[in-house]
Amino acid sequence: MLPYIKLEHISKSFGEVKAIEDCSIHVGKGEIFSLIGENGAGKSTMMKLLYGIHQPDGGTIELDGKRLEGLTPQKAIASGIGMVHQEFMLVKEFTVLENIILGFEPKKSLGRIDFAAAREKVRRYIEDYDLDVQPDKLVQNISVGEAQRVEIIKTLYRGADVLILDEPTAVLTPGETGKLFDILRSMRDDGKTIIFISHKLHEVLEISDRIAVMRRGRHMATLDRAQATASKLVELMVGREVKLDGRPPACEAGPVVLEVENLEVLGQRWLSTIKKVSFLVRAGEILGIAGVDGNGQSELIDAISGLRPILAGAVRIAGEEVAGKKPGQIRRAGLVHIPEDRNTRGLNKEFSIQENLAAIHLEAVSRWGLLDRRKLAENGQTLIKKYDIRPDDGRIKAGTLSGGNAQKIVVAREIEGGGKLLIAAQPTRGVDVGAIESIRGYLNRAKQEGMAVLLVSADLDEIVALSDRIIVLHEGRISGELPGGDVDMERLGLLMTGGKASETEH
Amino acid sequence: MKRSIKIKPGFLLALLFPFVIGAVVMLALGYEPLDAYRELLKGAFVGNFNLGTTLEKFCPIFLTALAYCVTSKVRYFNMGVEGCFYLGALCSAGAGFLIQGLPWYVHIPVCFLCGVLAGALWAAIPGALRAYWNVNELCSALLLNYVAIHFANYMIAGPWSAKGASSQTVPIQESAALLRIMKPSRANVGLFMAVFLYAAVFWMFRRTKIGYRLRSTGSNPYFTDYIGVDTKRMVLLAAVLSGAIGGFAGAIQSLGVYGTIIDGFSNNTAFDGMLASLIASNSFAQLPAYSFLIAALKTGALGMERFTGVPKALIDTLIPMLILLLSMEGLFEPRSGRGRARKKLDGKRKEALR
Repeated sequence: MLPYIKLEHISKSFGEVKAIEDCSIHVGKGEIFSLIGENGAGKSTMMKLLYGIHQPDGGTIELDGKRLEGLTPQKAIASGIGMVHQEFMLVKEFTVLENIILGFEPKKSLGRIDFAAAREKVRRYIEDYDLDVQPDKLVQNISVGEAQRVEIIKTLYRGADVLILDEPTAVLTPGETGKLFDILRSMRDDGKTIIFISHKLHEVLEISDRIAVMRRGRHMATLDRAQATASKLVELMVGREVKLDGRPPACEAGPVVLEVENLEVLGQRWLSTIKKVSFLVRAGEILGIAGVDGNGQSELIDAISGLRPILAGAVRIAGEEVAGKKPGQIRRAGLVHIPEDRNTRGLNKEFSIQENLAAIHLEAVSRWGLLDRRKLAENGQTLIKKYDIRPDDGRIKAGTLSGGNAQKIVVAREIEGGGKLLIAAQPTRGVDVGAIESIRGYLNRAKQEGMAVLLVSADLDEIVALSDRIIVLHEGRISGELPGGDVDMERLGLLMTGGKASETEH
Repeated sequence: MKRSIKIKPGFLLALLFPFVIGAVVMLALGYEPLDAYRELLKGAFVGNFNLGTTLEKFCPIFLTALAYCVTSKVRYFNMGVEGCFYLGALCSAGAGFLIQGLPWYVHIPVCFLCGVLAGALWAAIPGALRAYWNVNELCSALLLNYVAIHFANYMIAGPWSAKGASSQTVPIQESAALLRIMKPSRANVGLFMAVFLYAAVFWMFRRTKIGYRLRSTGSNPYFTDYIGVDTKRMVLLAAVLSGAIGGFAGAIQSLGVYGTIIDGFSNNTAFDGMLASLIASNSFAQLPAYSFLIAALKTGALGMERFTGVPKALIDTLIPMLILLLSMEGLFEPRSGRGRARKKLDGKRKEALR
């Protein structure tokens, strides 16, 4: 097959760091081509070069035999290249239709927008690819999956023959992911070329015709689907073997540590308002809370940790009633907490690594209200070593660290914070494979040392790999409980969508 | 974490530029700018009286700048230092003349305590309103200034009046007066107290648990709540601390400079302090230099007006211009400098990618 897109000997540096080094990737016409690699491997950068967001320092880009030079997103769109970004670029206050045509409106006389023509064109895409989208809804009222489909129509509407999707499944439920894959396949069968960026191996293996692996800015290999196996891909990505799809180690659950009873919490929206939720977590077990983002997970965690007011119900940590208490009091009752957003809550980026590491036990590094700089540095060094945080100089500002290392600061501080209950919310979000492996290891160790762990994650693989029991949160209610270990994924997916998935997925 | 002080050419240009504009205005008005600036310098620095007056003016500007700076660390914009400054001066003056028969080493601390308490309590009002009821501190503190100033003026003209020709309170006892230095100016040992207080506050912010919590509240309140620190209490604490410093500054004025309190004695001192803190981009380390610069300009302007006729209001307009230009960082950077800035940015990107 003659390559349709040829990226040849591409290199790109940001400052002194080489993001891409002599990387060549060829994509054939009408195939689903996956690009995988760890965070920072350069896959997004590579695609941003193709889409004209960045310009390469060296190398050539060819599309269908024609060389593309001085690419900008406008030129890329004109050449038939479209990209769906990780963050959706939609105007919330506009309708779906208005968003799709924004910037490319068909005109009638006097500069009026020809909505009828636009609607007709969009309707054709919806029918051709069986896209479940309602053109007249306001974007703020549609689900994440629908927003993604809107983004796809947007690129099609602009005439894309090549569709780049940057980690499209990160925000989807299993059901929605399946739906997306169906759409992608029908688009491929229609002759479109799809480039799919991901770090989820089973998805890549499910959907791709060919798979390219990148590591540290270099192209490692391109495999046909038939040759590729999960372990082979991981080895190419990381350079060594990594085990992520494990099962939770045996657990000996002890006494109840966290008791949540008929909890009611007002949420951002009705969907995420917690409605009479009750559950227990025992010492030495990990309870996983699965669910699609925005179904009340954040509200639940915030309420337990005292960062959001509770309307009704009880929360007891180690027998102590903490509902209505302040975050500091709840921490003293035995809570440690890896928050879902390390950038705002988890870290103070203005502070050094060692100041961040000491944040929840300042008493231990101070005397008579005076910070002891030696103890501060010692505490920092101990944790930096134990949790392999890089760079290892504790005086460096936390804001300069990469995602994985920044998250390790939070994990180290909280796990070593001497609590009885650990809330771990999205503990490996936005973190590369190597760091995921070690963070999961730390959580398992904490459990085996007798901590009660409440794990909240949008990543089902993570829930399955770690949880001894799983409860599913849907629209602020517990829609079901499953035992951990070998989880019935179909049932889990069903519970996550409130059971309605059964209708659309046979 | 060693910090070296680098002076960029752009910074110097920004510092000089207002004076160039001032010179142009003087020429347009028919004055001789070189003469005027010479007198400005002489008026600020030459001779015990002039230098002493600069130091005398420096002291309250420096302390009110410190007061403003303290609250800015918790993202609280304290326009209310002026009120605390007034009340601090008033209450310490009151204690200075009402309490009699104490030795100086008891009387002076008692007077300071009164001034500090008055400032602290007054600042606690907008502080608590902001922390617990989310009332905008800009409005409440600014309005409370008027209450404080008019109350002080009432006391000066009424109950505590010296009943003389000018509107001022009864002079303080000998035992409450601060020692003067650099006579015949009114500079006094309050200057050393100010420097000491500044060092203590600076040190507290950097080296103590409370300081950690205050810094953290300002740099990331979400983080601070999450680690279990009561940020509301921290905001209130910073406001009270700021008010106490403002009160302390007022006490130095009544006990050291005037020996009494005169109607309208402040003339927006605390706002000059605020400007100093703003030029210093609310950095403790830079406060002394800029406070001194403003004090010197203010003092020198008097001499300039006296000897050359150039109105001192001209200098007052240069100070805001300074702030404007210094805050437009990079405006005066040479082109290669911008390249450097870009490199720095790329360096950050590189770290982010790692």
